[in-house]
Amino acid sequence: MTGGPGARFLSDCEVLANDEVAPEQWRMRLRAPSIAAEAKPGQFCMMLTNPTQYPFLRRPMCFEQIFDQEVTILYKVEGEGTALMAGTPPGQRIQVQGPLGIGFDTDDDAFARHIIVAGGIGVASFPSLAKALTARGVIPEVIIAARHAHLILCEDFFRELGCEVHVATDDGSLGEQAFACDVLTRLKPDSDTRVYACGPMIMMKTTSDAAIAAGANCVVSLEAQMACGDGACLGCVVESTEEAEGEAMVRVCVDGPVFDTTRIDWAAHNLAYAP
Amino acid sequence: MPRDATDTDDMNLAVNMGGLPMKNPVTVASGTFGYGQEYNQYFDITRLGAVTTKSLSLKVRAGNKPPRLVETPAGLLNAIGLQNVGIETYLSEKAPFLRKQGATIIGNIYGHSPDEYVELASRLEQESAADAIEANLSCPNVHDAKTASGAVLVSQDPDAIIEYTKAIRSATTLPLFIKLSPNVADIQEPALAVQEGGADGVCLINTLLGMSINPKTRRPRLSNIVGGLSGPAIRPVAVKMVWDAARVLSIPIIGTGGICTANDAIEFLLAGATAVSVGSMTFRQPDAPMQVLDGIKTYLKQHRIERVEELIGAMEV
Repeated sequence: MTGGPGARFLSDCEVLANDEVAPEQWRMRLRAPSIAAEAKPGQFCMMLTNPTQYPFLRRPMCFEQIFDQEVTILYKVEGEGTALMAGTPPGQRIQVQGPLGIGFDTDDDAFARHIIVAGGIGVASFPSLAKALTARGVIPEVIIAARHAHLILCEDFFRELGCEVHVATDDGSLGEQAFACDVLTRLKPDSDTRVYACGPMIMMKTTSDAAIAAGANCVVSLEAQMACGDGACLGCVVESTEEAEGEAMVRVCVDGPVFDTTRIDWAAHNLAYAP
Repeated sequence: MPRDATDTDDMNLAVNMGGLPMKNPVTVASGTFGYGQEYNQYFDITRLGAVTTKSLSLKVRAGNKPPRLVETPAGLLNAIGLQNVGIETYLSEKAPFLRKQGATIIGNIYGHSPDEYVELASRLEQESAADAIEANLSCPNVHDAKTASGAVLVSQDPDAIIEYTKAIRSATTLPLFIKLSPNVADIQEPALAVQEGGADGVCLINTLLGMSINPKTRRPRLSNIVGGLSGPAIRPVAVKMVWDAARVLSIPIIGTGGICTANDAIEFLLAGATAVSVGSMTFRQPDAPMQVLDGIKTYLKQHRIERVEELIGAMEV
C-alpha cells in the first residue's frame, strides 16, 4: 500500500522474531522496509493484533530501534491485544501502519546535556533516541526506573552505547530504591539540559515537575487509548495549556506523542483514570 | 492517486440518496473520518459515494475531558463530545480541500437549537461547502437542555424532530438527512417524524448508549461516565432498525452501524438502506471503505446483478 503525503504506510510486515525478554515484556522484530526508511525516534505505528474483529482496535506501539529494513517493538502484555501479539510466531505477517506522530527532535543542539528518564515499559522508545543522539556525538545520561528488578529493560543497550545509566526500583530490588524524579533531581539538571521522559502518567508528571523546578527543558512521550492513530477520531486527546477553545485539547497521535511538557496541562489531567 | 477505472465498469453502482446522486452507495460515518484529508493518504477519497464530515457546530468545541475512548467486545465506547473546528474553519480550511479533490460532501451539523441548525445549513449551502446536509439530532455525549417533552436527545422526541426538521428544511434546498439515535423504544416513531418534517432521508443508527467500569479503580473508564457504543458489536441492532424504518418510510435510509465488510454493507441494503456508512472499521483498517466498495462490486458480479439499487430492501423471507 501507498504512503502518500506525510509518507505513512499501511503494510503487511513479516515478523522476524518475537521473544519474551523479561516476564511479560516482549520484543518483536519486523521486516518493514518502507516504514523503517521513514521512521524517526519517538514515532509509533498502529499494529493489527488479530484477523478477527475481537479485539477490535489496533495497538499503538513506538519504535524501539529503527534499522535499514527493520524495526523492533518493545511491548508489555497488558491485555488481550498484546497477548495476541505475543502469540504471533516468526514468519507470520502482521499489518502495520506508520510511521505516525511527531517524535523526538534529535537535531536540536540548543542543549549541552541530555537526560533520558524511562519508567517501566516507557523505556521502549528510548533506544532509537539514544542511538540518534550518540550518532551526532551527544551521549545522553539514562535513568531507568521501574517497580521491580525484572521490569528494568535495555540497561545493557544504553551502557554499550557509552551512556551513564542510573537504575532505580520502587522496591530496591535492583539499583537504588527511588523514584525516577528523585534520581533526576540528584543529577542536577539545569537550563542547559533537556530531559526526555516516558512512562506512566504519574511518573512523567513528577519527572516533568522535577525538570521544570531545576530550570531544565523537558519533553514527554505520552501514551493514550487510540482508535485511529491518524488524528481523525479525537479519542486520544489530553488537556493542553492553550486557552483557545480550539486548542484546549491536543491529540497524542498527530500533535504528539512527544510534547514539550509545558504544552500539557498536568493539573487538569485526572490521574485517577489511569488504566 | 489514480482513479480506479473499474468503479464505472459494466455495472451500475449509482444510487439516489434523497436527491443526492451518489456514484456508489458507500459513504463514511460522521466522526470516524475527520474532514476527509486524514484518509486521503490511504485511498482516493473521491472514490467514495460521499464524504460525510465530522459534526460541525457554529463555534469551535473542545469536546469532553479524556479519557474519551475505551475498547469493548467487538467495538468501542466513545465520549468525544463533538470536538470540532467550528463551521467557519471548516468553510475556510476543510471544505476547499474536499472541493479541490472533487469529493461529494455530506455536511454533518450539530446545534443547540433549531436556529443554530438553520444557520449551519444555510452557511454550508451559501458557501457551496456541502452537497447534502445531515443533521445530527442524536449525539449521546453532549449535555444540552432537554426538549419540551423532557427527552435528553432531540432524536428521542418526535415532536421536537418535526420542529427541528421543518426549520432546517425551510433553510436549505440541499438534500436533507436526519441522523437518529437508536436509544428509543420504537425507531419507527422518530423515523416517521423525520419524514413528516420534510427531510429527504434518514441516517440510522448513531451509537448505542453504554458504559464500562474499571473494577481495579472502581471508576468509569470514560470521564463522561457513559458513551456511545459502535463497531461490529452493534451491527445486528442497526440492521434491525433499518429494516423497521424501511417498512414505514417512503424516504431513503443511510444505514450504518458496525459495517466492516462488503457483506455487512449488503445486509444493510437488503434490509432497506439506500446507502451505507463505514464507521469505526476505518479505525482498524484505514482503507476499509474501499474494501467495502470493491467487495460490493465483486458481489454484484458474482450474483449477476446489474444495478446495486436492485439490492435495496431485497431481503427474501
